[in-house]
Amino acid sequence: MDFGLIEFDDETRRFRDEVRAFLDEHLTDEVREAEWRTGDGMNLELHLALGRRGWIFPTWPAEEGGAALSTLHASILEQELTRRHEPSVTRGTTRLVAAAVRGWARDDVKAEVLPAAARGEVRMCLGYSEPDAGSDLANVKTRAVRDGDEWVINGQKMFTTGAHNCQYTFLVTRTNPSVPKHKGITMFLVPLDTPGVEIGPVHTLGGERTNMVYYDDVRVADRWRLGAVDDGWRVVTSALNAEHGMDEAGPTPLEESPGENRLYLGVYFEALDRLEAWARAPADGDGARPADDPIRRRRLARIAANVELAKMTPGPMGRIVGVELFIRDAVEMLDLVGPPGLLPRGVGGAVAEGWFEYAHRFAQGTAIYGGTTDVHRNIIAEHFLGMPRSRPSSSAS
Amino acid sequence: MTLRRADFSLDEEQEAVRSAFRTALERSCPIERVEAAATADPPGYDEKVWRQLLDMRIVAMAVPEAAGGDGAGLTELVLVAEQQGAFLAPVPLVEAVVAARLLASCRDQWLGDAVDGNRLATVALHPHPEGRAQLVPAGAIADGVIARAGDELVLVTRDEPPRAVANHGSTPLAPWLLDGTDTDRRVLASGAEAARLFDRAVAEWKLLTAAALVGLADAALRRAVDFAINRVAFGVPIATFQAVSHPLVDVAMAVTGTRRLVWRAAWFADNEPDEARDLIPMAYLHAVETGMNGPTVGVHVQGGLGFTVESDMHLFFRRAKGWSLVAGDPAHELDTIAAARYGPAAPTA
Repeated sequence: MDFGLIEFDDETRRFRDEVRAFLDEHLTDEVREAEWRTGDGMNLELHLALGRRGWIFPTWPAEEGGAALSTLHASILEQELTRRHEPSVTRGTTRLVAAAVRGWARDDVKAEVLPAAARGEVRMCLGYSEPDAGSDLANVKTRAVRDGDEWVINGQKMFTTGAHNCQYTFLVTRTNPSVPKHKGITMFLVPLDTPGVEIGPVHTLGGERTNMVYYDDVRVADRWRLGAVDDGWRVVTSALNAEHGMDEAGPTPLEESPGENRLYLGVYFEALDRLEAWARAPADGDGARPADDPIRRRRLARIAANVELAKMTPGPMGRIVGVELFIRDAVEMLDLVGPPGLLPRGVGGAVAEGWFEYAHRFAQGTAIYGGTTDVHRNIIAEHFLGMPRSRPSSSAS
Repeated sequence: MTLRRADFSLDEEQEAVRSAFRTALERSCPIERVEAAATADPPGYDEKVWRQLLDMRIVAMAVPEAAGGDGAGLTELVLVAEQQGAFLAPVPLVEAVVAARLLASCRDQWLGDAVDGNRLATVALHPHPEGRAQLVPAGAIADGVIARAGDELVLVTRDEPPRAVANHGSTPLAPWLLDGTDTDRRVLASGAEAARLFDRAVAEWKLLTAAALVGLADAALRRAVDFAINRVAFGVPIATFQAVSHPLVDVAMAVTGTRRLVWRAAWFADNEPDEARDLIPMAYLHAVETGMNGPTVGVHVQGGLGFTVESDMHLFFRRAKGWSLVAGDPAHELDTIAAARYGPAAPTA
């Protein structure tokens, strides 16, 4: 057990200063404002600049386009990016898909895609959910039918976040409808500029932009297939496990390690910091601090204790515990700040730049995307507690 | 901006301590002994099990090397306390350890006997109300109680401990008067030092009790999961119903997070006590809730059986509250957290 402070040596301090100077230049107020406006989850100029430094895949070796950073340096980079609100969704999905490409694609596809992804020129999104298949992912209806050396794809995907900024989507398709549903799935890396692909925006309660993507007789060469025909469930499961933190071996060495829970809980953790700053500052009028009020003190302390538990709970459990506390505490935070809490960012009189108003909306999505918390409870019941499946077993669809 | 390590791994020695106590209690403290101790007089005390833990130097290890002990930290002690909780061991482990550490700080002559187990000292958890009695954990089996009386920290002794009072958790709880006709008392510390030592002792008691509650909840969870897998209703194991499995998952998640929170609080108490005065109350607050929720879910997953005393679950259920409520309303932890994070409540104080 060790939770001690990490002493930065000269080289580490130099690296941190380098990161800060880089972000001063590239992650500007303008970039952040654009993100608030669009909810795009990516800024092209910043993404390309990160690529030039090898910081899209910071721990990859330099010859593969990474920067060969140590865990410590990668954590520092991630922490600075988080602190400055990097629009990070597309970088995150690109990293997940790249891992699948590395594991399952043909060598010529790897050579074409991975170095370009490391440079930032190629970005990738997740083509999982459909209007009628979300948590029950194996139920996808999007069809891929072989035609010589090509596949013809027809169907519709929902929540393909970042598609309008990406070159490829990691697509789950049904190739065999007459076998049990997990056995008839094939994965493709589909170039999004292929004729027949149409992307339309969908906006969320949290302010993010996501997409509906339509596939109308989209023809892709067989070389874009990942893994064997009808063996796609294995491919997508390995990617999902990486996304859900099921592959984590051993303890996370650093408090601020890059981890998927950042995407879910970063807004919550920052909301506590902002709430406590609000509570410690004298209020207008009588000069007393909100934190001096005996009832509000206890409510503030309760939220602080909840955040600590969320931080302590690891992996997929931490995501469930954290986001559900987040959803409850987001309401509590708004109640604490009162009527001005209703004012969004950019409106005069807003508290903490409207952060609590935003967090309350944003929190709802964190229990849904990447698989709902209830579906993840099923996974924990099976994998951690050894209980039998809590839903009907799959059958031919 | 700082970065900290987040290393929850146990070193070889910590693994050895944990597994030694787990193995010992597995052998010597089956649930039947817990049940038997519950109806003994005084309740909740099994001398044979306690003697075994004393022989394993449980109290000695808690005492600093400078005072003749083995110098284990709270980081190690929480691992042992968790095992006590997991087996519901009817022993005054938390009280004896906390009292011995106090006696060591005060260089009191009782320390040697407390370490050997010839005498049992315990701790009264609340500033003592003058002229009135206070319910003291392990008070019915203790030879002496360390208490905060006014500005002083005192050791109060009697030839015979007071009789246990029947209680929800079947623990050896007893009311102690500090100035009865049959008590002796001596001052261990006074003034600011007395306050500091008393606060530290209560914090340590809460930290170790938090660890015991984590062990208790985890053990109750395992029994409930086994039951859910094996019990068939409507033609299927009840574990296949999400209304059954999801509350069990909630307990598993809370146990996992709370255990880590307890470990982290213990590490900070050992290494950077000023850095995290809020971590022990946070750990205790969550442990009290998790400790109670585990066996509550357990009772309800077992349904009618869980509501009877034929099931072991009632033993877990009773101790979850029985162990913790002697320290008072857990909501007061929020005041401690707030004081650590926001300073004193009154702006002009």
